[in-house]
Amino acid sequence: MAGERKTEGAERDAFAREAMVHLDHLYRIAFHLAKDEDHAQELVQETFVRALAARHQFNPGTNMKAWLTKILQNLFFDRYQQSKRWISTDDPAGQESNDWKHRPAENPGPESQVLFKELSSNITDALKRIPEEFRAPILLVDMGDFSYAEAAEILACPIGTIRSRLSRGRKLAQQYLAAYVDIEQKGSYRK
Amino acid sequence: MTCAEAQELITALIDQELGQAERSSLEEHLSECSGCRLAFEEESALKNKIREAARGINAPGHLRSRILSDPRIFTEKSRPARRWQDYLRLMPPLLRPILAFALLLAIALPMFYFSKPASEPIALAALETYDRFLSGDLPVHRTENTDEIVRQLTRAVGGQFHPMGYDLTAMNLRPVAGLVREIDGRKVLVAIYQGQGGTLFCYTFLGSEQDAPTNAARFFEAAKKMNFYAFSRGRVNAVLHREGEIICILASAMPMEELLALAKSKAKPS
Repeated sequence: MAGERKTEGAERDAFAREAMVHLDHLYRIAFHLAKDEDHAQELVQETFVRALAARHQFNPGTNMKAWLTKILQNLFFDRYQQSKRWISTDDPAGQESNDWKHRPAENPGPESQVLFKELSSNITDALKRIPEEFRAPILLVDMGDFSYAEAAEILACPIGTIRSRLSRGRKLAQQYLAAYVDIEQKGSYRK
Repeated sequence: MTCAEAQELITALIDQELGQAERSSLEEHLSECSGCRLAFEEESALKNKIREAARGINAPGHLRSRILSDPRIFTEKSRPARRWQDYLRLMPPLLRPILAFALLLAIALPMFYFSKPASEPIALAALETYDRFLSGDLPVHRTENTDEIVRQLTRAVGGQFHPMGYDLTAMNLRPVAGLVREIDGRKVLVAIYQGQGGTLFCYTFLGSEQDAPTNAARFFEAAKKMNFYAFSRGRVNAVLHREGEIICILASAMPMEELLALAKSKAKPS
C-alpha cells in the first residue's frame, strides 16, 4: 500500500515536472488574458492544480502544451469571464490597468532593454484593447506557436473561425499599434 | 480574386496555413496588387513583433516557487526545503534576533575553518556563473573571435575535450567570451553567447547523465535516441544532454520550451 502511494507520488511529480517546462508559455498566455498580474499568476497556478488532478486524462505522447493551454483557457472562462465573456473595445481604458504599463520585464536581454520594454509594453497594451474573441487566437498562434488546428481545438471552434478572427484581430492590433510600429522593420514578401 | 477576399488568405499565408491552390491564387493577386502586398508586409511585421515581445515575458521567480511548494501539485518529498526565513517566522518576534545571531555563528564559524564549495550537483553549481556574469561580478576576457575562445578553452583542459561550438546567429546570439571553472575538481568550460536574442551559456564538461539534478524533468527524443534533462535555478533555465563522455548544458533566461527545442535541434547523437 505504502509502495503504491510512493509510486503514485513519483508519477505525479514526474508529470508535474514535465508540465513545468510549459510554465513560461502558460504565464504569457495568462498574462494577456487576465485583468492583472495577480490574476494571471493565480490562473497559472490553478491550471497546474487542475492539470495534476486530471493528469490521468492526458494521453501520453500527445501535445501537453496544448492540453495545458486548453485547461488554462477553460479556467479563465469559468473563473473570470462567466458574466462577461468578451472584453469590449468600446471602453478600452476601462479594461486597462496601469500594472501592465509599468510591469518590469522579468528577463530582459542585455542590450536594447529600454527599447524592448517599450515594445513589449506597447504590444501588451494593444492586445489588451482587442476583444477577447479576437485576442485569444493571436495569443495562441503568434505567442504560443500553435497551428490553426491546435488553436481551434483549444478554443473549441472551427479552423475557419480561427483564421477569420486572427485576420480581424491583427487588423485591430495594427490600428492600436499604429503609433508604435516601426515601418522600417516590416517583413518582406517573397514569392 | 478581390482585395477583400485576399485579406484572410494573407493572414493564413503568413502563418503558413494555406493550401497550394489558395496560395498560388493569392500569390498571383499579390504580384499585381501593391495594396495587398503592403497589407502582407505590415501583418508580417506585426506577427514578428508580437513574437518578439512574447519572448521577453517569462513567469516570475516567485510564481515558480509557489507552484513548486504547492502540495496540490508536487508531493512533500519533491518540494523544496523550507527556507531559513520560514523557520524564523515561526519563532516569537522577540526571540528572532537571538536565533538569527545563533544561526549565523553556527554557520559562519565552520565556514571560517573549513572554507570549501558546497556539495551542490555540478550541473546546478555551474549555473551560478550565469547570474554573476550578468551582474558584472564575473570578470571575463571578451572577444568576438570564436576560434580564439575555442582554442583557449581547449588548452585549459589540456586538449582532453573541446567546448561545444554552436552557431546561434539565427537567434541573434554570438559568442562573446569563454571561461573555465573548476567544480569539485572537475573542469567546466563555459562559452558565453550574447546578442539581441539575450544571453546564453553553454557549459561543457566530462561526465555522465548522472550529473543531471535529481529533480530535472527527463525528455527522450526518439529521433536522436537521446535524453534531455530540463531544470532551473532561480530565473535561469537549463537543459543538459550527453554526447559521448561530454556533458553539455545550455542555460538561459529564455522560456524552457524554447531552450529545450534549441538543445534538441543542436545535439548530435554520440
